[in-house]
Amino acid sequence: MSGIFEAITATDNLTLLMKIGIIFLKIAVVLGIALLHVAYATYWERKVIGHMQVRLGPIEVGWHGFLQPIADGVKLFFKEDIIPANADKPLFYLAPVIFMVSALTSLSVLPFFDRFVIADINIGLLFLFAMSSLGAYGIILAGWASNSKYSFLGGLRSASQVISYEIAMGLSLVGVMMMAGSLNLSEIVRAQHQYPTGMFAIPQFLGFFVFITAAFAETNRLPFDLPEAESELVAGYFTEYSGFRFALFFLGEYTAMLIMSSIAALCFLGGWTIPKFITDAAPFLLNVPGIVWFLIKVYSFMFFYYWVRATLPRYRYDQLMAIGWKVLIPLALFNIVLTGTLRIMGVL
Amino acid sequence: MTVKEIIKAIFFVEILKGLALTLRSMFTPAVTRRYPKVKRPVKPGFRGLHALAKDENGRMKCVGCGLCGAYCPSKCIYIYTSEGEDHTKVVDRYEIEVLRCIYCGFCVEACPFGAITLSEHYEYSDYSREPFYMTKEKLLSNWDKYFTGEKGRRYFRDFWRPKTEDFTGYEGQAVFKGVKGEK
Repeated sequence: MSGIFEAITATDNLTLLMKIGIIFLKIAVVLGIALLHVAYATYWERKVIGHMQVRLGPIEVGWHGFLQPIADGVKLFFKEDIIPANADKPLFYLAPVIFMVSALTSLSVLPFFDRFVIADINIGLLFLFAMSSLGAYGIILAGWASNSKYSFLGGLRSASQVISYEIAMGLSLVGVMMMAGSLNLSEIVRAQHQYPTGMFAIPQFLGFFVFITAAFAETNRLPFDLPEAESELVAGYFTEYSGFRFALFFLGEYTAMLIMSSIAALCFLGGWTIPKFITDAAPFLLNVPGIVWFLIKVYSFMFFYYWVRATLPRYRYDQLMAIGWKVLIPLALFNIVLTGTLRIMGVL
Repeated sequence: MTVKEIIKAIFFVEILKGLALTLRSMFTPAVTRRYPKVKRPVKPGFRGLHALAKDENGRMKCVGCGLCGAYCPSKCIYIYTSEGEDHTKVVDRYEIEVLRCIYCGFCVEACPFGAITLSEHYEYSDYSREPFYMTKEKLLSNWDKYFTGEKGRRYFRDFWRPKTEDFTGYEGQAVFKGVKGEK
């Protein structure tokens, strides 16, 4: 098993063609596994929320409803593709693609375990911000191109929401950058492993809190799902979408959730490593592959997404803006000042 | 704002309480009934699809007096009679518009001969209106379907036997035991 990992991760003494081939292989593996994860994230969400509401969730298709995502996918694929008569057709076609592409592109900079990353670029974190902002274009264009009041309102809400919370999220991660001294996600994880607590979530608890809240808003999830508020806007920006275009939005949303969970795992929870004091106490844990720790952290964060969704009602729009601008941004700025001061004093 | 309120606001005490509640309910067994697979047992005296009772000789008990139709609040029972040989009354048609029935059971109580009954059967949805228009033949075949065997006999004896024949209640019937709270 480790031999295969070595072959995939060590690319120093190979020809260019083989390197490109390995990159394509990596892309295929990451895309395949990520999309499968996304499909089963919907199943898991329905299951978790079902049980939290004392229901069963999907249970009829396959063993405990295990084939439900596949049935849903097949159903969506064969559904009629309806396009409103007065829609702006080119943009209508383009919007879900932009949304999906920006979500999937983010996968390329995530290190899933040590040295397994498609593009190990030095501005990884910045690239992730850029891509998550680009996804907002897909939402706004979808809202505009649909020529529907619900879609348009959803798109507008999403635009202002994403812009407001992007600031808070970016600022919340500045603390992590200061602690790690790098924007490269692998470097951030390695810096965390060197750190005594093993996780930046403990010294950066303020930043972690701001990040969690902003991540919920960035991915349009409850309690900040105003862009797609079912009770007021039907389905928000993708009201007019059906069939596979709808599925693209759906997949994009869940991929964005997966990416936010991965950022949380990488920047705050130590990525594929576990704190040193745990491995010192129980050395046999060193034999567990890093991907296991990474996935446990990602899944826990995803579970937290579902848990919050099952618990909290939607915020009002002015409350959403108030939380973003009056609470999260000042908190994040305070966190930066605090981290910087403590860093100069040599405490952190 | 008191100190307690400020602490509550900072640490999201209310939200954490809510999260604890949802987490707890996640581990309680679901209340879902998987209906088509697991049938819900009917309670004693359930008022389901109608049937016309037959006597020991397999003849229809109904004499066509028309009391059920007269009592029926939604007026969905139609009875047509004619004079047969040796001047007996013959029930030509006995029809119930089941879609208009409200399942009050007054027809059963009105019947002096225990001829109309309500079975435990409740799964008779269909795609058109015709199957819900019960003719005499259909109602008599319902008797054969749902009141044959010991279960059907007991059901008839306990619930739809006319009170003119027997005034005692069935065994295990809920009875009024005086004013609540009084010994």
